[in-house]
Amino acid sequence: MAVAMTLVRMKIAILRHSTKGQRGGMMASGGVLGLLLAAGTIYLAFLGGDWLAAAYAVWMLGWIIGPVFSGGGDETLRPEFFAPLGLPAPRLASGLLVSAFVGVAPVISLIALAGLLFAATPGNVLVAVPAMVLQLAVFVLLSKVAVAVLGIALRSRVGAIGAGVINGAVLAFLGQAWVFAVAFGQGGQIPSFVRYLPSGWGLLAVQGDYLALLAMAVLIVLLLAAWAALLTRRTGANRPSTRGRRPMRAATAREAVVAKELRTWSRDLVRTHQLTFALAYGVFFAAAPLALGWTGMLPWAAPIFIVMAAAMTSNSYGTDGTALWLTLMTPGASDVRGRQRAWLVTVGPVAVLLAVAFTLVTDGPWALILASVTALLGGAAGLVPLISVYALVPGTDPQRRGGNPLRTSEDDGALTGLAYLMMALVALSGAPALVAALLYGWWGVVAGAATGALCYWGFGLLAERRLAAQGPELLHMMRTGRRPQRGGMAFKLPDLPKAQRTIVMICWSFGAIPLIPQGIVAAAFLANDRLRMSWFLATYMPPGLRWPTAALMILIGLTMYGVGLWIPYRAKKRPPVYD
Amino acid sequence: MTAALEISGLAKTFGDKVAVDHVDLVVPQGSFYGLVGQNGAGKTTTLSMAVGLLRPDSGTARIFGDDVWAAPARAKQLVGVLPDGLAMPERLTGREVLTYLGLLRGLAKEVVAERADELLAVLELDDAEKTLVIEYSTGMRKKIGLATALLHGPRLLVLDEPFEAVDPVSAATIKTILRGFVAGGGSIVLSSHVMALVEQLCDHVGVIDRGRVAAAGPIDEVRGAATLEDRFVELVGADSGDAKGLSWL
Repeated sequence: MAVAMTLVRMKIAILRHSTKGQRGGMMASGGVLGLLLAAGTIYLAFLGGDWLAAAYAVWMLGWIIGPVFSGGGDETLRPEFFAPLGLPAPRLASGLLVSAFVGVAPVISLIALAGLLFAATPGNVLVAVPAMVLQLAVFVLLSKVAVAVLGIALRSRVGAIGAGVINGAVLAFLGQAWVFAVAFGQGGQIPSFVRYLPSGWGLLAVQGDYLALLAMAVLIVLLLAAWAALLTRRTGANRPSTRGRRPMRAATAREAVVAKELRTWSRDLVRTHQLTFALAYGVFFAAAPLALGWTGMLPWAAPIFIVMAAAMTSNSYGTDGTALWLTLMTPGASDVRGRQRAWLVTVGPVAVLLAVAFTLVTDGPWALILASVTALLGGAAGLVPLISVYALVPGTDPQRRGGNPLRTSEDDGALTGLAYLMMALVALSGAPALVAALLYGWWGVVAGAATGALCYWGFGLLAERRLAAQGPELLHMMRTGRRPQRGGMAFKLPDLPKAQRTIVMICWSFGAIPLIPQGIVAAAFLANDRLRMSWFLATYMPPGLRWPTAALMILIGLTMYGVGLWIPYRAKKRPPVYD
Repeated sequence: MTAALEISGLAKTFGDKVAVDHVDLVVPQGSFYGLVGQNGAGKTTTLSMAVGLLRPDSGTARIFGDDVWAAPARAKQLVGVLPDGLAMPERLTGREVLTYLGLLRGLAKEVVAERADELLAVLELDDAEKTLVIEYSTGMRKKIGLATALLHGPRLLVLDEPFEAVDPVSAATIKTILRGFVAGGGSIVLSSHVMALVEQLCDHVGVIDRGRVAAAGPIDEVRGAATLEDRFVELVGADSGDAKGLSWL
């Protein structure tokens, strides 16, 4: 226990230091969002059926999948820190487990688990307390084991690809949960197996099935043993890869940048994982409605893949870290253009192949798909370097990443925010072509080619200028791992009152929902006369209200992003107040 | 004659900490210049500002008369830089790094290939042909860094701690290369906190202490009758006489 208490004290000390400044702000807004979700979960305890069990299943998936997106989960205390101490692995693992309960996410999950108190059958309320704690331990441990397994998987190419496919599939199916709800159940019913997932065991316990408590305890012991075993394998460097290398055939500066980028794409297993993930997500998300016999979404796999790939690569310069100094020392060579071309070469062919193959299967709509693919490819290839120089999240230099290859930056909150921002912006860059295709058919493809080329050229130019003007500042940011405190050069929220900050976070997090599925996608359905489509509100409306509903949704989405951008902008304009 | 590197009034403040406080240094052409100072004295910050990797709050740096910040393209062509602890394109092999960088510098493909061959052979990196830079040891990283600094045939080398973590055999190779570079008319600035090394290699020395130049000039003038180490300790005011021992040893 002495080890555990020391680790807990260490973690509290570190957290106390990091609640200041911008990370503290991120933590606070994440906390507020989490509290809302927890409150929603508790509310479900008062509904009948398996709603609460389903909600806990989502919490569990969040714990397992979340770290993949937020840079390897909570790594405040790293196993490597304690390697020289020679602690036995089980003691270190249990110590780290206890300290893993200290933090914002576990506290919020515990609040959500308070739903067990209200769901308990009479006489079982006291059982809810150990059930909550055990259930939380199951969540935390599942998360730790998942990260450890992924970390080891990412040491080999096969592992990286496998992990990408699984993560993409799980997340896509989660996003399309309604399909399976409809396929399994009879409308509005949660399939009963959800109750028997490990996430539902606490609920079983408070409903009188005490065996579930024991089962959780056993599971915890097993997971702890697995984690301890994985921790001993984690320390140590990646296996060196000594395959034959194809010689570099580049002859100009730009070709050299392309060659460097393409080699990094194919050799960095984290990038391999990200691309496989994006591809799997696109394919599974679009293929999920096949379970209902509906093929209409299938051709949209390619556009979804492009948007996801852009989101995953949104911190292009940040992940390369301080290697930027070489770019600064060679001012004539155009790094941005090379990166753009390499991005297109990597993502483009797969996207086009996917689009053509799946659209052949469903026999259309050719104009819509080709218009959005061309527009999105150009938009993304322009936005990736632009966003990554304007909103750079300082990365950890590749050679210093240690045992968790997912950890490409210390600032995981900002990294997640950047991915969402990129998704929204890339989707927006495809909107004009999509609208043109809806209204004028094949002219949409022309529009897509035009906006794509414009984005590629224009955003690339802006990125290039920014890099030339602010290169040393960007390098300094990556060297220190911190954004400068003042100067407003980076993408960061100015110090806003809490309420405004929450509004901004909500706008950014949820603006995409009215804008994209409820607005643009719903409009696409309407244009194809597809009515009563799942959760696309506009398709349920009486004829006269369909288009106005979709338009209103787009307007709401745009307004949310507008407000989300306007509040910080206004605050930045105001001179800061020092007290 | 124009100085190889002329730093005047460079200053940089991070938050409340003055890292570099109006430093003036002149590195004459053909000199081998050692920059010494304690950890955190401002050596790396000064050198970063001098070559255009960190924007100074004030002051200028000129490389053969060209202002690094006003005319970066010309100034940067004349200088080769080995920074301390910065990343490389990590997923490339040593040869690929040199090819990439040579092309970025605008060299012809054949020239790059020839020079890369020679650099890899002389620095004994040719055995690691299939190894990615991310898998290099610290010493190998220094050597490939030095190779990138030399590749385009600069007239001034700015090297930040070039001998740190380099084994004695490789260090001897590097010293030979550097002496040859100076003998051929090139100029070198290197930072170090190993006084013996600076005394052995350099003909000029600058002592940086708490962001200021404590002494600078030809090495014989700076050290006078004492050794460089004694003079250094005297200059930076650290009293080596009563350094505290450890209570439990």
